[in-house]
Amino acid sequence: MLHLNGLGKRFGEQWILRDLNMQVDEGECVALLGTSGCGKSTALRLIAGLDRQDEGSIELDGEPLDSIPAERRRIAMVFQSYALFPHLSVRENLNLGLKIRGVSPAQRQQRIETVLDTVRLREMADRRPQQLSGGQRQRVALARALLRDPRVYLLDEPMSNLDAQLRDDLRPELRQLILQGTQPVLYVTHDQQEAMALANRIAVLKDGRIEQIGTPEELYKTPASQFVASFIGRPQINLLPVDKQLTIGIRPEDVGFDPEGMPCRLISREWQGASQLLLLDSPRGALRMLCAGDLSLSEPLHVSWLTSAEHRFDAGSGHRLAE
Amino acid sequence: MKRRLALWICLLLVWSLLPMLWQLISSFSTAESLVNGSIPFLQRWTLVHYKELLASDPPFWRYLLNSAIVSALTTVITLALAIPAAYGLARVPLQLRRVLRWITVAAALFPYVLLFLALLELARRFSLGNSLIALAMPYSGLAMPLALLLLTSVFESLPRELEDAARLEGLGLWQRLRWVLVPLLAPATASTAILVFLFAWNEYPIALTWLSRDELLTLPVAMARIAGSSIYSIPYGAYAAATVLGSIPLLLLVLICQRQIVSGLTNGAIKG
Ligand SMILES: Nc1ncnc2c1ncn2[C@@H]1O[C@H](COP(=O)(O)OP(=O)(O)OP(=O)(O)O)[C@@H](O)[C@H]1O
Ligand SMILES: [Mg+2]
Repeated sequence: MLHLNGLGKRFGEQWILRDLNMQVDEGECVALLGTSGCGKSTALRLIAGLDRQDEGSIELDGEPLDSIPAERRRIAMVFQSYALFPHLSVRENLNLGLKIRGVSPAQRQQRIETVLDTVRLREMADRRPQQLSGGQRQRVALARALLRDPRVYLLDEPMSNLDAQLRDDLRPELRQLILQGTQPVLYVTHDQQEAMALANRIAVLKDGRIEQIGTPEELYKTPASQFVASFIGRPQINLLPVDKQLTIGIRPEDVGFDPEGMPCRLISREWQGASQLLLLDSPRGALRMLCAGDLSLSEPLHVSWLTSAEHRFDAGSGHRLAE
Repeated sequence: MKRRLALWICLLLVWSLLPMLWQLISSFSTAESLVNGSIPFLQRWTLVHYKELLASDPPFWRYLLNSAIVSALTTVITLALAIPAAYGLARVPLQLRRVLRWITVAAALFPYVLLFLALLELARRFSLGNSLIALAMPYSGLAMPLALLLLTSVFESLPRELEDAARLEGLGLWQRLRWVLVPLLAPATASTAILVFLFAWNEYPIALTWLSRDELLTLPVAMARIAGSSIYSIPYGAYAAATVLGSIPLLLLVLICQRQIVSGLTNGAIKG
């Protein structure tokens, strides 16, 4: 069980990360979700021991990690850039750490062969990292992490360099390889869809602070702020200002046709196959709406939604208002 | 465009190779033919300069050996100290690093000839004269700033995450240097090593003052002696033969390390 207590980090005078409290249980995967530059990688580097925090503490299984140097923390990290050793072949990349940690040659050989089979890279074993595709490199990095036999897995946007197709292919692999173990997993991403698909819980980060942490369902159904609401769920939620105090959020999938509803003008439509996304001009502002793909539309359109589907936010602070 | 470029390259080659060719021809020519242009082409060739050089006491290869020992030792000492130092320098905070870099640049640019009296004094005081091993000490000290500058900039250019990954794999500081950083730096290290070797191979004033015993002289000092051995005539032929013999080891070295030098130079080893 990984425990972060009020973790903070600053560079110079500027706090990059502040007041990070979180717990990751055995076998649980928590996704750190946030925009670029919000401090996700920094958080992982603190946990791995590569940087030192300026406040707060980190505990693993009840024992503080702060005095243990990175070399001996037994934490595996898959870097955003994969960080494979360019001068070593795939096999040597996997071998180096095992050798240093004193595993016997026979056992090394056997474990490397097993893991190469697991990540399906046996034919690539003697190539250098430069001779591999992005997806293959990512799998080497995963294999290296697996061989570390770590107490915690830290994955820093492991799929951000891959195309969408490959990401979809690798997601089940990743789930099977790492997320089914008993170790806590922290998964950093800026892709909400990936976070929803892989994580048990998601922590949404904004400017170095946790905006909300909860299961994907909680975040989708009861976003704590406008920021979370617009970060989670695609297509993006509609935010309609009501007055100076109140903004309501309504998800495009909660908007429906209703002969009694608001009259709207169709501005554009994106056909997505099973569904289509309509951009409407309503009396309350621009409105995104999701409807079935085979529906034929005839203007004028009338739409409405249930009040129970509305999310109510404070217009000033962006926080969710009590029901 | 291509042909213009080729022409320029040819001109450059002629410009830099012609003196060497001249020396090569001179070294195989009789002393007479060097000053008298009327000797027929076929009668001017001889091996006598080389024979004399190798038969003299001590034989010329002895100087080559001395220079090789001093230069190799200098290179080893310099790199052994400069690699860890450069690693450390690349890891100190930016502002301190800037100050240190300026100091190193100043040291690298300092005309070291100005030091030779002080160094001579040191040699006397601690009886370091007439020892090849002792000579390597001031040499490595003098070559250090340049080596440090070159190596620091390569260490800085390595992605930080590579070393981080090695740390998480359980590699300690020296293990990271040994298994990850130094292998990655091999090209840059090779080109630095050659520059240091060249410096030690060519160094004259300190060798002149620190060494007096005939059998310990390094190449530049020995060459100077040959050139000044007679007050009546200048021994062009012997001098040219010595030049040719003296440059062969360097040519070999460069040929062997050619690939590393080129990739080291193009890797940005010589930047910042
Ligand atoms: N060594 C450093 N010195 C100063 N500022 C830094 C340093 N490292 C990171 N930062 C700053 O900290 C902030 C957070 O960086 P971090 O790498 O954690 O972002 P991130 O959330 O991982 O972003 P991305 O999704 O782009 O990877 C950035 O604004 C960055 O400029
Ligand atoms: Mg990052």
